[in-house]
Amino acid sequence: MRMLRKILTIAAAGSCLAAFAGDAAAKLGSCNEPIVFGTTISETGPFSTLADRWRGMTEIFAEEVNRSGGVQVKACNKKVPIKFVIYDDQSVPAAAVSLYEKMATVDNVDFFVGPDWSSLGGPVPPIAEKHKIPIVMGNVATPSIYDRGFKYVWGTPYPVVPRWSERYFDMLSKMNPKPTSIFFITHDNPVTKGITGVWSKKAEAQGLKIVGSETFSQELKDFTALIAKVRAAKPDVVYISSFDGPSVPLVQQMRSLKVRAMDVHHVMLTGSLYRQVGKDIEGMTGELSWYPGIKGPYSDLVETVMQRSNISMFDYIWTLGRLSSYLVMVQAIEKAGAVDREKVREALYKGTFKAPAGDIVFDERGFPNNGAFTVQMVGGKVSVVWPPEVATGKVVWPSPSWK
Amino acid sequence: MNVEVFVQVLIGGLLLGGLYALVAFGLSLIYGVVRILNFAHGTLLAVTGVAASLIFASWQLHPVLIALLLMPPVFAGGYVFYMALLHPLNRRNHFESTVGTVLVTVGALLILSDLTAKLAGATPKNIPLRFAAIEIGEIVVSTTQLGILCGIAVLTVAMHLFLKRSWFGRAIRAVTQDEVGAQLCGVQSTRLKALTCAFGSATVTIAAVLYVLSFPVDPYMGFGLTVKAFTIIILGGIGNLPGALLAGAFLGVAEGMTGLLWKPEWAPALSVILMLLILVALPQGFARKSA
Amino acid sequence: MTRTELPFRLAGVIAVVALAALPLLGNAYLVTFAFTVLIAYILAQSWDWVAGEMGYVNLGHYVFYGVGAYAFSIALVAQYPTAFALLAAVGVTAVVAVLIGFPMFRLRGDYFAFGTLALLPLAEVLAYNLTPITNGADGIVLPVQNVQTISYLLALGVCVVAFLMTVWINRIRFGYALKSVRNDEEVAEVIGVRILPVKIKVLTLSAAFAALAGAIQSWQMSYIDPATVFGLNVALVPVAMVLFGGSGLRWGPFVGVLALAGMQQWLLVNVKVLQTTIYGAIILLIGRFMPGGILRSSWVRGSRWLGALGRDHHEYIVDKRGADPRVAATLPLPRLTVDRRQPLLECRSVRMAFGGNVAVNNVNLKIMQGEIVGLIGPNGCGKTTLFNCISKVFEPTAGEIHFAGRNLRELRRDEIAQLGVGRTYQIPRPFSDLTVQENIAVPLMYHDASLTPRQALEQARDFVAYAQLTPRLTARADSLSLQEKKALEFARALACKPKLLLVDEVASGLTPAEVTRFVDHIRHVRDDYGVTVIWVEHIFSALAQVVDRVVVLEQGALIADGALHDVVKDERVLRTYLGSAAAGVV
Repeated sequence: MRMLRKILTIAAAGSCLAAFAGDAAAKLGSCNEPIVFGTTISETGPFSTLADRWRGMTEIFAEEVNRSGGVQVKACNKKVPIKFVIYDDQSVPAAAVSLYEKMATVDNVDFFVGPDWSSLGGPVPPIAEKHKIPIVMGNVATPSIYDRGFKYVWGTPYPVVPRWSERYFDMLSKMNPKPTSIFFITHDNPVTKGITGVWSKKAEAQGLKIVGSETFSQELKDFTALIAKVRAAKPDVVYISSFDGPSVPLVQQMRSLKVRAMDVHHVMLTGSLYRQVGKDIEGMTGELSWYPGIKGPYSDLVETVMQRSNISMFDYIWTLGRLSSYLVMVQAIEKAGAVDREKVREALYKGTFKAPAGDIVFDERGFPNNGAFTVQMVGGKVSVVWPPEVATGKVVWPSPSWK
Repeated sequence: MNVEVFVQVLIGGLLLGGLYALVAFGLSLIYGVVRILNFAHGTLLAVTGVAASLIFASWQLHPVLIALLLMPPVFAGGYVFYMALLHPLNRRNHFESTVGTVLVTVGALLILSDLTAKLAGATPKNIPLRFAAIEIGEIVVSTTQLGILCGIAVLTVAMHLFLKRSWFGRAIRAVTQDEVGAQLCGVQSTRLKALTCAFGSATVTIAAVLYVLSFPVDPYMGFGLTVKAFTIIILGGIGNLPGALLAGAFLGVAEGMTGLLWKPEWAPALSVILMLLILVALPQGFARKSA
Repeated sequence: MTRTELPFRLAGVIAVVALAALPLLGNAYLVTFAFTVLIAYILAQSWDWVAGEMGYVNLGHYVFYGVGAYAFSIALVAQYPTAFALLAAVGVTAVVAVLIGFPMFRLRGDYFAFGTLALLPLAEVLAYNLTPITNGADGIVLPVQNVQTISYLLALGVCVVAFLMTVWINRIRFGYALKSVRNDEEVAEVIGVRILPVKIKVLTLSAAFAALAGAIQSWQMSYIDPATVFGLNVALVPVAMVLFGGSGLRWGPFVGVLALAGMQQWLLVNVKVLQTTIYGAIILLIGRFMPGGILRSSWVRGSRWLGALGRDHHEYIVDKRGADPRVAATLPLPRLTVDRRQPLLECRSVRMAFGGNVAVNNVNLKIMQGEIVGLIGPNGCGKTTLFNCISKVFEPTAGEIHFAGRNLRELRRDEIAQLGVGRTYQIPRPFSDLTVQENIAVPLMYHDASLTPRQALEQARDFVAYAQLTPRLTARADSLSLQEKKALEFARALACKPKLLLVDEVASGLTPAEVTRFVDHIRHVRDDYGVTVIWVEHIFSALAQVVDRVVVLEQGALIADGALHDVVKDERVLRTYLGSAAAGVV
């Protein structure tokens, strides 16, 4: 028994050390090796609630791209396949940091994509910058993270805060009867607070009177007090700026406490929310970055990938942010014409890239311009209602279920 | 602010507080008898809640049925958990048994949440049942809420009577006060402790179903609930079920009132601030409780 | 330095140098990993000072980490130099520790654990809501500097300091204060340790190091937000690491951190699914099968090299000389001058009531210097309560107690001990996880501040020999038999160098030969050292051999006071205590 324990201890120690040894270094720029994208996904931990089934989706993306041979690289005069190295960052920034270091120095990836979430999007870019590896992050929305003067960092949050409710407010200005007052309910989170910050100003500029603005914390379960304030203010529009999960009790209680308004708008109206609140969601408007049936560049690829990985765009709105980071990176390599980090960096700088819902244009900080479409839940189905050119359904105004 | 709003917030607070108290019940019982810091308690609720919502999503069973369905396996699980992992630690000295139970329950917490996330997905789930609402003037009470409140009340009374009147209940209280003495009176304390663990876990099942009717659960939220339950136990007293209910109700209402009269974002901090204030003001109230 | 220590010290120095050279070797990944291990070690070791040494399980340790991280980040963003920011981190957190400590230390045991755990979500809410200071949910973005190497070296430095701090704490009296609190707080006070400052100091020290860990790590990560530093999902990790290795041991935190961090990283990198489940299962199994930690398990103890890692702290300062078989006839006690006509202890109308229950009822008692007084009475008549009043375990509800001319009202228990009151307990209360030698050494240290623990442990040998416990010198106190514990209890009370010794039923359960030995001891300490003794006892044959007079209590009131042979004939005493059958016997 003791012998066995000794052997086990030595084996464990040995494998610990082996964990630090590297794979044979993939030669950067070689035309005969697949292009390696390094990334981490929050498969476990608190953020995993937002990133369901993404590992599979990522691997399927690679498969689909490689189906036609891969990425067209001019310098190699052929298509080169891509490969993903994926780790689980466990939603812990320190783990993400060490994994990106590992990918840079031990696994020798060519480029970085991801991660997501501001907690990780804060500590990780300096590593990419240090190793001069271009990184296209996914759902990292906090603008101040892009203000740090990095040269190798881009991100594809979908949509970006400054454009989040653009189409919705456009729609409001054209609705009849015209809404005159708006109440903001904000989840205490940088993204949602950012959204409220920007869009409350724009609402005012548009002539909507802000009759109330309340913030609630992640764990709040009893919204009675907050809803009482909403009811007292009698707004025409209730604007909920929140992640879907924390707002579930809010929506349910708003229903049971009979909140009345012309419209209840939720900035993250998702299938997950729908599943949890059921019929309560009827009549609510929201934002969606993309939807099945939209026709645009790469929409076939994206649709196939999502179908194969069993993910619905409506379910989890972060998937397009993730996928876009892959799409951008792939296009950047094509544009650069070589598997070369500096050339790809130049291609990414203030670049324009194609995506199903419209072009992604980066500014000089690496921050994109992604927008969203306004959707409404009618009869249990979601349809795009604004802008009218791409609408799949007519907007019902005012919302009958909230009257 | 008028009376109706006040009453509305009161009702919401009672509901929330009642649910917190339910979470605390099982913990209080287990802690009082078995004296273990069970960090996995809230996670058990989260996991059972996830299971309950999945059962509902697949078969649309009535919540009461779901609870009845889930109770036996959780009961058995609690019993086995105690006998296999916790009881053997009793033989060790005090320091090692405390450390051992901490490690075991922390390990259980990690395993439970990870397995659940893997098997059922990490996204939040609930039971989206909605019953009609009753309007009294400006006050709206949903029958779901009423049902849950009734459920909590019934459960509290039932457990209280059980502890006071039944042999098992008296044996539990005896072991809480003096284990050796109880053993000398014929109480098989090992089996009793295991049964208490099982019973406390089963209570969590009922709490989970009630919880999941109101709010969503995900596999990672358990620890936060455990912390809340611990706070309620401190405020209400170990093994004191009515006390825990009062403390929970008080807490729920206080959180609601904070949201109404001040700002909602401070509400979750309230329980801890209250606890700290009480500690500073009434040190004697807790000095006698050395664990 | 003993022979077994030298290779360890050498290995330690080599390891530190090797770690310091790591950044030069180029593998940034290894450096990042090593950095997280270093931070984990700082957190783990600082936690263990409060938990392993003092027995208070502080589950909110991460609060200090987070406060330190925020204080540092705020200072850095406000353009203060880094060194200042680090000092700010430590300073602010230390203040927070003191503020938290006072209310929290009102709780004991598991309640303390619950209470401190709840501080973590409170801190998170504060961080979210105090937006003007903490920037709320946005977090604080630090200026990006390439600080990987310097933060790493700084962390390494703090680790070394933390380790040396552990070694140092256990070499000085403070370490023993912690350990005595861990075992029995009331007894610690009664033998002269002032415990509240000890608790606050160790918490502040622990907080300072945790704050440094938070500051250095946020410097390296260049971004913090409330969830990262106060999240419950990381709160228990350092705790699990220490417990895994062996809490309270010199190498425990180190081994635990290394093992669990290494395991965690290995799982992260090599296992695709269910890494947390495996990690949790390992922790669970260790808890079930090796709850004392790896270093206390039998297979580590058995191995020669690993076993040396698992040594207890006292094994590093105790001289391993074999037990000296000589029985000391003299104790290193001062010979007090005794004036038989002067009272040493005066109880004036002392009354002690617990709610409606009056345990000590208007007792007037005078004990002269150099007397041996027996205190007898039926069970529950208040004898032990009276002792508790004198040694200030309770504050009397009314009346005054004067000792050596001083009014004892408002004095703390440890001050009473310093004045010269020593006591034993009816059911012995030794410091269970300390050795016999250490048990005696603690009061010695607290009655002569100039003694180092090593010297006190040396001096303790004489007391141990006096109690005839020399064969059990290095045995843990909880492994002693009842008689041995009573002997230890008595010797420890003597080590308090008392002027007044309160002996509480030391003879019950002993054989006649053992009783005679105690009687001899009591006579000896009075005759040779001038110690006054009050002896509560039921065994009359013992009392009769040595007491000058006897005081009888009944239901809290004094009913007789005089020579033994008079008192036993007293009607009231016969009726209430001795029984009429005794009337004819004595």
